[in-house]
Amino acid sequence: MYKVHRSSFRPVSSSLKLTGKLGLSVLMSLASITFVHAGEVVWWAPNWGEKRAEELAKKFMVANPGIKIKMEVTVSNGLPARVLTALRSGNAPDLMEVQHGWVNEYAQGDFVLPLDDTIQEKADYNKGVLQVITWKEKLWAIPYRIETHGVIYNKDHFREAGLDPEKPPKTWDELQAAAKALTKAGRSGFGITGGGEMGNTIFRSLPFVWMNGGDLLNADMTKAVINSPASVKAIEFYTNFYKQGYAPKSTLENDGLALRRLFVAGALSAYQSGQFDVPAILKENPKLNVGTMMIPAPAGKQTAAIIGGWSYVIPKAAKNPTEAKKFLQFLNTAENQAFYTDTFPARASASKFPRFNDPILKPFAEMLPHGRTAPIHPDWVKMTQFYFDGIQRILLGDQTVQKSMDQANADIQALLK
Amino acid sequence: MPALIVLMMLIAYPVTYTGILSVTNQQEEFVGLQNFRDVLRPRVTTQALWNTLWWVFGSIFFQVIFGVAAAILLNQKFRGRAVVRSIALIPWVVPGIVAATTWAWMFHTEFGIINYMLTGAGVLEEPIGWLITGNTVLPAMIAINVWKLFPFVAIMVLAGLQSIPQELFEAAKVDGASYWEEVRHIMLPQIRPVVTAVTLLLVIWALNAITIIYAITSGGPANKTLITPIQIFRLAFESSAFNQSAALAVMFFGIVMLIVFIYIKSLATESSEKS
Repeated sequence: MYKVHRSSFRPVSSSLKLTGKLGLSVLMSLASITFVHAGEVVWWAPNWGEKRAEELAKKFMVANPGIKIKMEVTVSNGLPARVLTALRSGNAPDLMEVQHGWVNEYAQGDFVLPLDDTIQEKADYNKGVLQVITWKEKLWAIPYRIETHGVIYNKDHFREAGLDPEKPPKTWDELQAAAKALTKAGRSGFGITGGGEMGNTIFRSLPFVWMNGGDLLNADMTKAVINSPASVKAIEFYTNFYKQGYAPKSTLENDGLALRRLFVAGALSAYQSGQFDVPAILKENPKLNVGTMMIPAPAGKQTAAIIGGWSYVIPKAAKNPTEAKKFLQFLNTAENQAFYTDTFPARASASKFPRFNDPILKPFAEMLPHGRTAPIHPDWVKMTQFYFDGIQRILLGDQTVQKSMDQANADIQALLK
Repeated sequence: MPALIVLMMLIAYPVTYTGILSVTNQQEEFVGLQNFRDVLRPRVTTQALWNTLWWVFGSIFFQVIFGVAAAILLNQKFRGRAVVRSIALIPWVVPGIVAATTWAWMFHTEFGIINYMLTGAGVLEEPIGWLITGNTVLPAMIAINVWKLFPFVAIMVLAGLQSIPQELFEAAKVDGASYWEEVRHIMLPQIRPVVTAVTLLLVIWALNAITIIYAITSGGPANKTLITPIQIFRLAFESSAFNQSAALAVMFFGIVMLIVFIYIKSLATESSEKS
């Protein structure tokens, strides 16, 4: 899951240009094995939804006898590379599932078809996600799965600390107070990440910056603003959990997975993560009394989170785009989206289905309208690296928050030229 | 001849391609030295170079000292010598990635055995964040690298020691030399060529070593363990800045060639002085 998150930050284009060139000939010969018949839709579906995908394909074929759906199952490891190679080689399937963040690059490279004529009830879709997959005022994908972080906490720890587990913190001050109260008997109150793959820390810290009105770049991406008072205050809030001893001592070594392990072991009382962590926690330690809450925001301000998830695209090189579009409309009825997604569906009406009624999912659902996306800039990965280095300098005690962010700001500004 | 062509393709093509990449942009247009300027500007590049120098010299200094000491000890006659010799080789035989992961867990602040033993024995009051404290993380990396490669030095030097003619020791005994005098005046001068050759190998390996650091810290925290080879890797495969990465690689190649050249040159003058 963490791989998945991190890669939504990574522009893959140029890396693929290289491997693409070398692998092109090999791939072409491989791809030619797949014979395509008229009326056949080749669908690249990820392995985690394989069973449900088969069911949907069968249903569709019964209703549309002229069209055959041919599934090819993909795995998340190395998927961006595989998708881009297929798109570049011109030997692509008719329908693919990709992360929202990858779509823009495909649109700019002229590898996929615009889908404005295919999407139905556009107003029903999550607005933040539609924005990511829009380029030059056209829609280049149809999103079906969306997710953000929330906060996962241990209800028993709350009770032991004299806090009401049914009334989790809503504001920064309350979260800080709770973290303080929870930190005792060798436990850490609130875990932050400061190590591992940097995407872990971007996903957890940048939303705090956004909530407080700060950002990494200004709106037209001409100026770095990570040393603005609003940004600095948010980063101070984030890093203080470690500085004040409420986050584990190993924070600088910890990624999201490490936090989950500490949580399962009962050494950590609360941390930010996605809803997919909940079943994983309960599988390892079914006795844990897990609660979930929205990510607290500064008093009087709105919360925020980075939105992630998956979309369908139709490659420009698709052999049967008309049939693929028809199948796409079938896949994106509210009912089928609700059935197929692992986390939440991109359509508001689909999220009303009973399977999303689980109270433990409610805070995650409420986070969705506050979901935002990272800006689309070719040097984004380098910028976040400078930002991440800055956070590590603060955690190491090398620099004050202001000084560290001044340096990060200068480093990022140099990339904007 | 066909072998030569294959060799050319395997060596010349990547080298040339890196060279071309370093002076072009993503659109494959010629941009002169722009990539070099871009990659030299951020302060992280200088920091990485300093880290590299610390890493290389720190590693080699201790590898050679421990290696030679171990070789001299293993050259003694004692019971179970063969077993000890084999055990001493283990660090060198263990795959780098396995060693790195194991050490990462041993050094871990909360679950690590090193902190557990030190706090348990009362040496430390509080666990130390070995890998997350600015001034312990690079020394920790160097320590792992020393542990990994000193057996190699030991084995090479041991071979050198065993080729010393027995008459030298006998003559020394006749002259009434002590054991330490034997070490100083016979063993060390005799193994000098071996040590110089091994050091060159160690320099080249340390300059290219990426496994240990990348697997444990990936250059962090806050670039405290970022060495230039890792920066090259990061630029190319994490930031997709292939052209800047190539520019840095070309410069690094230059520096490495310079070091090797100086080393070989001094080696040559040394041996000509002797003869």
